[in-house]
Amino acid sequence: MDRTISFASRNFKELLRDPLSYIFCLGFPLVMLVIMTLVNSSIPPEAKMTIFRIDNLSGGIAVFGLSFVMLFTCLSVSKDRAGSFLVRLYASPMRSSDFIAGYILPVFLLSMMQLIITFIASVIIGLIVGIQLDILGCLLASLSLIPLSVTMISIGLLFGTLFSEKASPGLCSIVISLASFLGGVWFDVEGIDGVLSTICNILPFFHGTKAARAAIAMEFGDYWTHIGVTAAYALVFTIISILVFRKKMKADLS
Amino acid sequence: MKAVEARELTKKYRTKTAVDGIDLDINDGELFALLGVNGAGKTTTIRMLSCLSTPTDGRASIYGNDIRNDSTGVKNIIGISPQDTAVADNLTIKENLQLIAGIYGFSKEKAAQRVQEMIDLFGMEEVRNDRAKTLSGGWKRKLSIAMALISEPKLLFLDEPTLGLDVLARRELWTAIEALKGKMTIILTTHYMEEAEALSDRIAIMLGGRIKAIGTLSEIEAISGESGLEASFVKIADMTKKGEL
Repeated sequence: MDRTISFASRNFKELLRDPLSYIFCLGFPLVMLVIMTLVNSSIPPEAKMTIFRIDNLSGGIAVFGLSFVMLFTCLSVSKDRAGSFLVRLYASPMRSSDFIAGYILPVFLLSMMQLIITFIASVIIGLIVGIQLDILGCLLASLSLIPLSVTMISIGLLFGTLFSEKASPGLCSIVISLASFLGGVWFDVEGIDGVLSTICNILPFFHGTKAARAAIAMEFGDYWTHIGVTAAYALVFTIISILVFRKKMKADLS
Repeated sequence: MKAVEARELTKKYRTKTAVDGIDLDINDGELFALLGVNGAGKTTTIRMLSCLSTPTDGRASIYGNDIRNDSTGVKNIIGISPQDTAVADNLTIKENLQLIAGIYGFSKEKAAQRVQEMIDLFGMEEVRNDRAKTLSGGWKRKLSIAMALISEPKLLFLDEPTLGLDVLARRELWTAIEALKGKMTIILTTHYMEEAEALSDRIAIMLGGRIKAIGTLSEIEAISGESGLEASFVKIADMTKKGEL
């Protein structure tokens, strides 16, 4: 446990001391909330387009923000693997479980901070534009996105383990684009049909957005279905990333 | 008890044999240098002895702990300063040292005491709160060695500790390494002849994955028939090429 906490503490400090963490993980979702709220105010009411209204927008932006947490997980792991810092730690009594938990805990904390800040900002923006968001609903929305946060972190761990420091950010940007485009943030997935709709419903991002929106609205019709899908993804990707990390560590030491 | 005992230690990578059946006996408290050109097998030998790489064949033990069957036992009593400076760039000197103390399970009090001892030992007081990425190469190497030492290892591996350092930084590091002599067993890899000559009790000359000569400087001079380590090394390399060794 001491080993895990020491390593997690180091990773958390590294994250906090990287200005990009603030820009991408905290600043970017806030900027997007403000910009899209301004866009929403420019849409005439007769268009009946509510996707950028703060009660719909906040859940989507929260999902989008989590994809950057994946990027930072991936960078932490791939940077360590590129240098010889891990060599030193491999020669210490640290076990693979210490490494995995040490990487996951700080970024999980970062994702929770990001979600709380995103929803606090949403409540404030809501007050400004005259839409009162339920505080309890926002709190529940933050908790509802934990499975998606774990999924994103696991994908980051997986990419960081498998790919180099140069290749992995590129692959992460594909997932970021997918999370953004297929997460139901920028268009109404329920208003479309066909292959695109099917893909959105297969992947976890849209379910994350829907779970968060349902929590904010305190309407729990399909809530558990969306939570179930994101939780299943979280479980599968966590298991895969742990197995791959362990295998890779074993290969590095062979 | 011997610090290191290795028999027929071998490492093969597909068709390439990096280390070819070496035998090593290193005494407790000795400063032992593995000397060789790049690609001689020095780093691979250190990697195997520090459980960072599994031998293809042969066996070795560190203070009686088998490197294959008791890697935890080995890892608890060794410290390693890898060839590239292995420090956490965004942490300060003090935080880097605290990190390693935490990984080895030291209590807060013991960690604070060991951190201060390392800072004093390497004269790092003035830069203790500087982040590693802002340090010069010499300071980084000192920090890297301090991180290897903080866990109070019985055996310290220094892999090319002065590689890429300027002459002043190198001499400073030599002084620091000399101060450690006798307090623990040290295995140093280097391709600088003067470094091996100045620091070590015994030297092993590695060529093509094999140990071609081993002993004190005078013993190696006797094997080669030359005076000085550099001349002896060249002669031994020449004798190896001709198949005489």
